[in-house]
Amino acid sequence: MMKRSTEVFLDGKRHILIADDEFVNREMLENILCDKYDVLKAEDGLIAYDLIRKNRKTLSLILLDLMMPNLSGLELLDRLKEDPDTKNIPVIVLTSDQASEVESLRKGAADFIPKPYPQPDVIKARISRSIELAEDRQTISATERDDLTGLYTCEYFYRYVEQFDKYHPSTEMDAVCFDVNHFHILNERFGTAKVAEILQSIADCLASVFSSSDGVLCRMGEDTFLCYCHHRDDYPKILEKISSGCGIKMRAGIYASCDKNLDIQSRFVRAKIAADKISNAYSVFTSTFDETLLKEELFAEQLLEEFPKALEEKQFQVFFQPKYDIRGDKPVLSSAEALVRWFHPTLGMISPGKFIPLFEGNGLIAQLDEYVWRRTAERIADWKERLGISVPVSVNLSRAEMYDSALVDTFEKITGDTGITPKDIYLEITESAYVSDSNQIVNRVSQLRDHGFFIEMDDFGSGYSSLNMISELPIDALKLDMLFIRNAFDKQNDTRMISIVIDIAEYLGVPVIAEGVETEEQYLALKKLGCAIIQGYYFSKPLPADEFEKLLRS
Amino acid sequence: MLTIDSLKAFGADTDDALARCMGNEAFYFKLIGKVLDDKNFEVLEQAIHAKDLDKAFEAAHSLKGVLGNLSLTPVYDPVNEMTELLRSRNDVDYTTYLKAIADKKAELTKLLE
Repeated sequence: MMKRSTEVFLDGKRHILIADDEFVNREMLENILCDKYDVLKAEDGLIAYDLIRKNRKTLSLILLDLMMPNLSGLELLDRLKEDPDTKNIPVIVLTSDQASEVESLRKGAADFIPKPYPQPDVIKARISRSIELAEDRQTISATERDDLTGLYTCEYFYRYVEQFDKYHPSTEMDAVCFDVNHFHILNERFGTAKVAEILQSIADCLASVFSSSDGVLCRMGEDTFLCYCHHRDDYPKILEKISSGCGIKMRAGIYASCDKNLDIQSRFVRAKIAADKISNAYSVFTSTFDETLLKEELFAEQLLEEFPKALEEKQFQVFFQPKYDIRGDKPVLSSAEALVRWFHPTLGMISPGKFIPLFEGNGLIAQLDEYVWRRTAERIADWKERLGISVPVSVNLSRAEMYDSALVDTFEKITGDTGITPKDIYLEITESAYVSDSNQIVNRVSQLRDHGFFIEMDDFGSGYSSLNMISELPIDALKLDMLFIRNAFDKQNDTRMISIVIDIAEYLGVPVIAEGVETEEQYLALKKLGCAIIQGYYFSKPLPADEFEKLLRS
Repeated sequence: MLTIDSLKAFGADTDDALARCMGNEAFYFKLIGKVLDDKNFEVLEQAIHAKDLDKAFEAAHSLKGVLGNLSLTPVYDPVNEMTELLRSRNDVDYTTYLKAIADKKAELTKLLE
């Protein structure tokens, strides 16, 4: 499609061609129009055609006499309408016959002006109206299609879907959202030019699958393609076709046989939720929306929204899971891990597995963690003062917090405010935090240790620490990943890996803490292997502060 | 010397034509000068004599448009009638029309002197 943008006219007048073999007619029209327009003139059909071809990008309108030598007006009109370069230039036919008026409108003329000419104001108004209409139409078709892929743009897509529904109210339809897997990596790997090519070929491929009678397609954002189509169940096949044709993996979120009482955007939000659900899955490529997904999403939204209030109302409570030193004859309560629980006024107790990953994803975790650190420090101080018992409690730090340059100050302030010492509060830092940006993290951890804090490396065995690096790590204890323990005992009862880790800890001169210990068998085996401290349901589940206090007293 | 008054006296609807000329009298007069030189008058006459009604129609049709735009009613009227007859290729005696056209054209030409 030829684009004639209105920018062409910013520095001057719009261009009009007058094609008429009569000198007097040409002169008269030019005289009427030359104030407002730049006028080109042609005295026969062939000259007119040449001029139109040459000026096709800038011509705003053609005034065409029907009876001209060499090439008649109607023949010229046919040629113009067949040519994609010229078909969008509006043509006004000049004629004195009513019969020709109808014929020329049928052939695609925008309007006609009779002879003898009407008043100049009428001529001007009709010309200006025709130009306006043509330019509007052009703007619409420019915004209707996505430049890169030729598919509909989102806004128009929704309108077409609406129209489709209007005429096919009882047809069973699917709302589908196709996403490119790991799209940001594609840009890095191939560069934007190649990625543009890939997106085009995806669009072509989708267009070949969904003919215009089967469905409507659009591109939304960078790499999302929406499709509204007749219900079908061959989506895995479609994805395979794209994968083999375009060399990339896509996933599809399908809201099958969608509820037409829902507004159109909501239907595609559901498809998108389904697609996002599998965005990190490597072997699952289609996901069908069901109400549970929506519930999960709404639940997450609700938690995020209510977080500030929950923090203010102290809905979060710190629980304590005891840790036992098993090096002696009898296990001795030696410390505890602080774990957060959310007691929601209407939802009841919410598992940390549901809200911690959510808060980690958007930074709210920092506020929650600091709250937990402070509550924990207050408890430690309280037990010290009232019971005269000093039991260290470990708190968890998130990876993001390790980048906070004020971290040491925060802990100094907490210990200062509550009157405990750095030795009373242990810090658990997950192994994967060390790996991501080891230098910076190692420096931060060293800083905390220099201030007297005791550091436990959490989830050891789940990350990918290099053996090289481990010897340089500033840590005071290794805490085995829970899955590590579970696998060692569940599968072939193979504890060799555990004994290797215990050897490493020995080499580093730090104790090993095992968490997730649930059975006597596990406890005895770990004791035999030389594990120092144990945490888990075998001894105690996480306890509310008052219950943990009872344990301390006994 | 052509004037609006003389054109009015001739029978032209000068108000109408001047409006099309954006009120510019000199421009109007210039176009009248041009129409008198229009070769279609000659083409029409020859085509009628040669019984080439297609060609005659085209010439008459063109003249009708121009004369109408200039509101030269006394010349326009016979051309218009001829055009309508020629549109259906009526093989009638056009000489009276041709004579009326020639007479009025001559009258107009005289106004220019």
